[in-house]
Amino acid sequence: MSRESETLTETIAVASRPEAGIEKKRFSLLLWMADRGVIVFTVLLILAAVIFIDGFATLPNLTDVFYRAAPIGIVAVGMTFVVISANYLDLSVVAQVATSAVIFIGISNEFGVFAAVAVASLVAMLYGIVNGLAVGFFKANAVIVTLSTTFIGLGILRWLSGGSIFFGPEDGPIRAFGQARFGPIPLSALVLLLVTIILWFVLTRTTFGFAVRAYGSNKSATRLAGVNTTAVVVGAFVITALSAMVAGFVLAAFSNTAVSSMSDGYEFRALAAIIIGGTSVFGGKGSVLRTLLGVIFVSVLTNILVLSGIGFGFQQMAIGALIVLAVSVDALARRAAKK
Amino acid sequence: MTNSTHHEPPAPILQARGISKRFGGALALADVDLEVRPGEIHAVVGENGAGKSTLMRILAGIITPDSGSIRVGGDELEGGPRAAIDAGIALVHQELSLVPEMTVAENILLGAPPTTAGFIRSRQLKSIAREALDEIGVTVDLDEPIARLSVSLRQFVEIARAVARKPRVLILDEPTATLTPAETDYLLAMLQRLASKGMAVIYISHRIPEVFAICEAVTILRDGHLVERTEIASTTPSAVIDAMVGRELQLDLQVRRTANPGDVVISARGIKAPNVNDVDLDVRAGEIVGLGGLVGAGRTELVRAIVGADPRTAGTVTMTVDGRRTVIGSFQSAVRAGIGYVPEERRVDGLALTMSVSDNVALPNRAELSRASVLRPKAISAFVRRLADVVGLRPPAITRDVGEYSGGNQQKVVIAKWLGRKPDFIVLDEPTLGVDVGAKAEIHRLVRELADNGAAVLVVSSDLPELLELSDVIHVVRDGRIMGTLAQSEADEKTVMSLASGETLVGA
Repeated sequence: MSRESETLTETIAVASRPEAGIEKKRFSLLLWMADRGVIVFTVLLILAAVIFIDGFATLPNLTDVFYRAAPIGIVAVGMTFVVISANYLDLSVVAQVATSAVIFIGISNEFGVFAAVAVASLVAMLYGIVNGLAVGFFKANAVIVTLSTTFIGLGILRWLSGGSIFFGPEDGPIRAFGQARFGPIPLSALVLLLVTIILWFVLTRTTFGFAVRAYGSNKSATRLAGVNTTAVVVGAFVITALSAMVAGFVLAAFSNTAVSSMSDGYEFRALAAIIIGGTSVFGGKGSVLRTLLGVIFVSVLTNILVLSGIGFGFQQMAIGALIVLAVSVDALARRAAKK
Repeated sequence: MTNSTHHEPPAPILQARGISKRFGGALALADVDLEVRPGEIHAVVGENGAGKSTLMRILAGIITPDSGSIRVGGDELEGGPRAAIDAGIALVHQELSLVPEMTVAENILLGAPPTTAGFIRSRQLKSIAREALDEIGVTVDLDEPIARLSVSLRQFVEIARAVARKPRVLILDEPTATLTPAETDYLLAMLQRLASKGMAVIYISHRIPEVFAICEAVTILRDGHLVERTEIASTTPSAVIDAMVGRELQLDLQVRRTANPGDVVISARGIKAPNVNDVDLDVRAGEIVGLGGLVGAGRTELVRAIVGADPRTAGTVTMTVDGRRTVIGSFQSAVRAGIGYVPEERRVDGLALTMSVSDNVALPNRAELSRASVLRPKAISAFVRRLADVVGLRPPAITRDVGEYSGGNQQKVVIAKWLGRKPDFIVLDEPTLGVDVGAKAEIHRLVRELADNGAAVLVVSSDLPELLELSDVIHVVRDGRIMGTLAQSEADEKTVMSLASGETLVGA
């Protein structure tokens, strides 16, 4: 009896693992699609728009695209943290953006911009901590929790604001911030770029971002590497909330008004950008740069539909269909990668 | 090998001949025969991994054998679970497979409820369920959801589910693992009653005393081969254990270390947790302590409770390094104190498979590899490269996803995670499960080096030669308790197996 085959475990090992090596993946096209598809599609879409759509490649139109993309983009880039941490999404961004906008205009009118920013920051922290603790500490389902905090948040907002529209002064700093532009590029688009760069750094270069990615890849293994997982989840929701707050400022400054219904649909548009960008809803894989690309794709697509005279109903349908497509490719790619 | 032609009537109800099965390239069963008569309780015994469960799953049609034939009542059995059920084979699974939210009655008839035009006939459902429970003599409310029952009651419901099909052959895979002694006695009596009515029972157990209490014959498997089939009346517990363990001890004694234990590093007192009953355990610096026992004995639960991976219901763990004493509570506090933990299920608890080798190794070391919370990529790269070299990762492509590596390499990555922290105490739970021979030897070398460098090491292993080769001292665990402690000099396969299976030949 040889040493080599003394136990079954060894026999299995000898037979099935002749040499330690790396297994080759199949389904490479599918995996490539899930990984890099968005880059190609975005480029193709922009090219198509330039060539075929009248009025797309004009300065006023591009400026308009940037204006509309900025607040949704800022929300999406922040919410990428929640998606990567494998907690699906934060639906309550819709309430957070509106609350931030109303505070920004409403409190500025009474007490000045700094007071408004301070109050908005506190509210954003509260959102992040409540969502984060419910999901990260009590292990409640993120979709249900944030759906509920949306209700709570919008309820409080409508109760306190009475559902009224707030207008900023015509010559105030908010108005100036909203109108500022560098050539065709509005300041708000630069804010989006800045937030993206900061959050890219946080996600890829800090121990916190590292823990978020690891947690999204495998919660149990991350806990059993000594990571404080509650802090990771709370952190992801706080970053989302702070981003939503900034988005609220940008959105309010754009029109110099604020109302509780102004961000309706943001949660879904942000999710669309994240998923189309290629961040996996299973967690662990993704980046804020991908989300930025997804924002560009969704914004350009929406703009093309508007310019083509296609109604809002069809736009909604198109984005919904795209998400179904993107999550299906994501799920298929995940299965293929496991093979 | 035995030839069973001399058995007198009754004719066997189940005849399996020449069953072989490979998984991938690995041989799980090689030319195994099994023969059971009606009204007989037939034991199938063997060490972990001997092929018992695989054989039972083949009989139940869950997996298809590569070769061999199965006859039930003289008729050839076709493939698939449906055919096995129709032929009267019912398997009670090792893992409970009940739906917790559904009621007792619904679970008993899960998969085959009586219906009219697609609607479940609930009155008939209940009467069939009631009948099955009466058959095994268990009283439980039919409308109670399974989730509200104790684990042992669930086990009985699982059996009722099998009995409800009125099987000719009832297979039970380790049914007593979760039962108390009184419940076990009840179960054994119940099986004898069923057998007396003509049902054939195949009884898989590690517990030799149970086998000798109720079985008439025993089939012994080892490493996928049939060792022996014999009548219980003509054998002894000691002979059965010999046959199970079988192989001549060929331990490579040269690799055994001369332990030079220092002070106690880890002291666990009165540890209680689910499946862990009041355990005291010390591990000294430079010492490798082995935990032996059968699968389900509570070893994994014990070590998880010690390192804080799962909560303890009672007990304290203190760690003393260089005279500094730390109380270990949460897993985070354990890691901070210098504890490493290589979990049993590396793909679930040990690795983020969609992340790189580098990320996985850096994760528990991230504080040391960053400045002001900003990661230092160069430091990480150098750190991981060094550890990949130490553990012998092949190929040493540290930016590749861990999931792309083989089992042995994955395990090396898990070990590398903790080696980087220079742990004062490290727990390795089944460190070489599913690992190739080369990697196994390297992992053993790493474990010895850890101890040689002064770490306190606790190893859980169901691989007896591994346990015997590595450990300076072995505690054998059964039913969540340490049943005996064996010094290196007195430990051999038989003493460990005897303690583990409850056939207490040696005390400690």
